[in-house]
Amino acid sequence: MTDDDDLRARLRSADPAASLEPASPAQVAHLVEETMSSRSNKWALPVAAALVLIAGGAAWAVTRTDTPTPAPTPAIAMSPRPAKVVELTATGVQAKCREPQPQQLATSADFAFEGTVALIDNGRVTLKVSHVFRGATADDVVVAQAGDSSETMLGSGKFETGKTYLVSAAEGTVMICGYSGEADSIGLRELYEAAF
Amino acid sequence: MDLVNVDSRRARFETLAPAVIDAVRRYLARRTDPATADDVLSETLLICWRRFDEMPAEHLPWAYGVARLCLANAERGQRRQFRLLARITRLDPPPQVVDGPAPADDELAAALRRLRPEEAEILRLWAWEDLAPAGIAVALGITANAASIRLHRAKEKLRKTMTSSGHEESTEGSRP
Repeated sequence: MTDDDDLRARLRSADPAASLEPASPAQVAHLVEETMSSRSNKWALPVAAALVLIAGGAAWAVTRTDTPTPAPTPAIAMSPRPAKVVELTATGVQAKCREPQPQQLATSADFAFEGTVALIDNGRVTLKVSHVFRGATADDVVVAQAGDSSETMLGSGKFETGKTYLVSAAEGTVMICGYSGEADSIGLRELYEAAF
Repeated sequence: MDLVNVDSRRARFETLAPAVIDAVRRYLARRTDPATADDVLSETLLICWRRFDEMPAEHLPWAYGVARLCLANAERGQRRQFRLLARITRLDPPPQVVDGPAPADDELAAALRRLRPEEAEILRLWAWEDLAPAGIAVALGITANAASIRLHRAKEKLRKTMTSSGHEESTEGSRP
């Protein structure tokens, strides 16, 4: 197969990358670090900033609600401003949590999935998606977690590494008030099965 | 999954990434401009990291396959930009610029251009990325058998194209 060898050699001598300098170790390290710490652009859900309460919980609203527009601002838990309750009611959101309804979930959620928390880094929770109930498929979902303990979700109230969650979202914000939480929370899976 | 597993996944990726980065950088440098290459490299790495668990032991052909799709995506976006640019330059043409230095092997370059793009690509994967038919198959998402046949045909066609372009080759003409 010397013919082949010749041809290959000739093609190789025309390789435009032959003169390409190898990336420096520093560049490589930077790129690797960047890759592993980057978040998915597609499904970055700024929960902390925008807890759109489908039916806002009065007790929670005092400590952790924002305007219902998604905006990537720091966790609300850091600045509890009771005045925001007023804003919330002003936007017409109910001030009490109603019992979660499958129909409500079915009509409001545009993205719902089951996933296990793989990584929590700097308030960013990365969930490995195991099942998508509704919406485009995604491998990972990144959620900004508000503070250390948010009482916005069923179960322990926050994302914890290794635990599995059922999460639904509307327009990029996580639906709480009984619509998202630990997968083994009582009634949650049934709710999802009824809705989707 | 616990933290130990996450850490070991990171450690494995860190071990493997430099080789992937080097190979994909070259792959992209051969096929696109530096700015696009940088973008597509990061995107390719990100996908490799996310889908690390699916990565086969022969990871380079697989990574080339990911880079190929990312590059195709990027180029689709660029074509849109190009159409806009074309409209702008029609209205406001830039001054003429001189062409860069011509490639050293004109004959080879011309022959490659005369092949179908898929044929030329298979030859590049073979000669530049140094892939055997099995690897080419993974990179292009085709069967190993098809890769083997197409590579063989592309080689024959390239040889023929070069000998028929007027120059007498040192090899004894085309072979069966």
